[in-house]
Amino acid sequence: MAANKRIMKELAEINNNPLQGCTIKLAKEDDLNNWDVTMDGPPESPYAGGKFNIQIVLPKEYPFKPPVLTFKTKIYHPNVTNDDKGAMCLGMLRADEWKPPNKIVDVLKLVRAVLAAPQPDDAVEAGIANEFKTDRKAFDKTAQDWVKKYAK
Amino acid sequence: MEESHYLNCKSRAQNYNPPVDLRLLDYVSIYDNNLMCAICRCPFVDPVVLSECDHVFCRDCIRQSWNSNTSYTPLGPRGDCPTCRTPAKLGPRSATSKILVNLVDELVVHCPKRDDGCKAEVRRCEVQDHVNIYCGYTVIECTDDDCTLPVRRKDAAQGCLHFGVSCLSCHKELQKWKLEAHWRSECADRRVHCDMCKSSVFYRDLEAHRKEACPAMSVSCPGKALGCTSRSKRGHAELHAKSCTFAKLAPVLLKQQERLDEQEAAQKEMSRKLEVLEGGFQNMQGILYPPGVETSQRSADNSLTPSLQERLFGSGTAESTTPTGTAAGYDWTESAVDEDAVSPAETMHTAFSSATSPRQRAAPLPPGPRPADLPEPFSSDFDIASPTGFPPPATNGGPYASPLHHLLSMHESLRDEMTRVSSALSELDGRHSMQILNENLRTREEISYLAAQTAGLQRQVHWLTSSALQRQQGRSPTPGASSSGAGGAMMDAGAGAGVEAAVGAVSTAATALRGAARMVNVGGNGSGSGTGTGMRRGTSEEGRTKL
Repeated sequence: MAANKRIMKELAEINNNPLQGCTIKLAKEDDLNNWDVTMDGPPESPYAGGKFNIQIVLPKEYPFKPPVLTFKTKIYHPNVTNDDKGAMCLGMLRADEWKPPNKIVDVLKLVRAVLAAPQPDDAVEAGIANEFKTDRKAFDKTAQDWVKKYAK
Repeated sequence: MEESHYLNCKSRAQNYNPPVDLRLLDYVSIYDNNLMCAICRCPFVDPVVLSECDHVFCRDCIRQSWNSNTSYTPLGPRGDCPTCRTPAKLGPRSATSKILVNLVDELVVHCPKRDDGCKAEVRRCEVQDHVNIYCGYTVIECTDDDCTLPVRRKDAAQGCLHFGVSCLSCHKELQKWKLEAHWRSECADRRVHCDMCKSSVFYRDLEAHRKEACPAMSVSCPGKALGCTSRSKRGHAELHAKSCTFAKLAPVLLKQQERLDEQEAAQKEMSRKLEVLEGGFQNMQGILYPPGVETSQRSADNSLTPSLQERLFGSGTAESTTPTGTAAGYDWTESAVDEDAVSPAETMHTAFSSATSPRQRAAPLPPGPRPADLPEPFSSDFDIASPTGFPPPATNGGPYASPLHHLLSMHESLRDEMTRVSSALSELDGRHSMQILNENLRTREEISYLAAQTAGLQRQVHWLTSSALQRQQGRSPTPGASSSGAGGAMMDAGAGAGVEAAVGAVSTAATALRGAARMVNVGGNGSGSGTGTGMRRGTSEEGRTKL
């Protein structure tokens, strides 16, 4: 119950004070633990103009366990797995790194920051990370193509 | 008094009312973010200070945080600070500043039974007492000695309320002590206020009210489907509709759309029908112009591909349209050509071809573009000129759109003719058999009459013979036995022979009669009854002469 209270509080907080470029709603109205986030690609990045659907699943033990983030929209990014899961690698979301005081808003802020500035050293898609490091133009182009293809 | 009551049933009351979870309370007073636990995001509940970094958390929160990711340590709970990751352990209780505890305790909260109707606002440190002792909406055990069911504290003075009643509004059966709560939050027929327009409606109608009637609800313009994006409150919707072109057009266009849909559906049906008809038509053609014509024409028009021809003339004729052609097909063709040559229908054909050629050119169905010198394929099958006895369709071939129609109508009329003939035949048959039956009856009567006469004759003959015998017997003893025994024997023999002859004559007469009867039976009635009577007379005279 206390955990639910916290989630409700966070949701109310984020609805009252929305994060720029993010719309958040519950996937199902009666399930607080499933959030649907639509994030606009950050301007000044190859993802500008795209709309990315991110699903956040809060475990029962939240906030003591980290939430799980998945990209439902395909994205060409070194830190997001290029499969149907679309799992995102964020240091903050690893079980040993997670701190209960962290809020979902913080996580989303970080996601936005990572979209704007990929972290090739912390990559899950080595190929993309390599391209990002060596041939930035090609990376930008592919990323933009994917945005046009999937993230409209 | 209340306190004594509290003492009486405190233990049970606690069963009904679990301890208040301070984190679930609604706070009246605005509290500072610094009073909030970073983990549960609520004002601290039993705050503790970590030994190294002085970060403060609720005791439960820090315990749970450490339990979930560190294993048991014998030196008491310890772990990293959830905020700054400094390794730490719980500080002693004395470390927690009294000021902090007081600040948190002073926060004013709503009674947790607020949803049930309790309007009390109490300090957080007192909320448990309020619920346990004072709150009228807390559930306690019934004051009645025999009753252990729960009841709200404020209702307890009214005695045992655990009897069934039914709601006045919705007639649901329930216990009296639940009635108030039922009216408050369950009853479908209670009045509620629409939170948009402030009007009072029945709870059960609330959804419908919001959807359809609530004037404060924002609705989209009726022309939304046409592209008007404006939304306005229902009250103002009419104003908007007056100015919006889309809204004005909407009904007309919607009706148009409906009609379009209808038409489309109708058209679909028609086209399906047409398909069926076409299929039937092609089959007919396959029957009317058998493959022989095709094979003869094949050489003339190579433009038609085999597949097309097969499609045109149906699967039934496909096998005989193979280039070699069957013998029957060739025979047929020759005979057809012969007929064509000798038939007096030449003029008819030309008339036909002139009448129908435009249509043939337009439609590819009669076997394709064909050189003009070839005979008309349908003329050979039907000799149109000869059956002048046909009903009108054959003679005035003008109004028919195509020779096929003409043929079809001829076919129809032939069929009519056939049915007429067959009905006439059956009628005739019935009449004939009736006549035969009548004649037979009469003949049978006559035969029976004859048979009776014969029987009478037989009796007469019998009487005569017996009297003759008696006479002889009476005579023979009188001349005595001495007179010539041989003569008597002679006489006897003579008399016997005479009688026997008479009997034979009668029997021959009978056989003659029977023969006559057979003749009547066989010969029927054409010969008439005159002969029958004549014969009868003849036989009777014969019999009489024989006698």
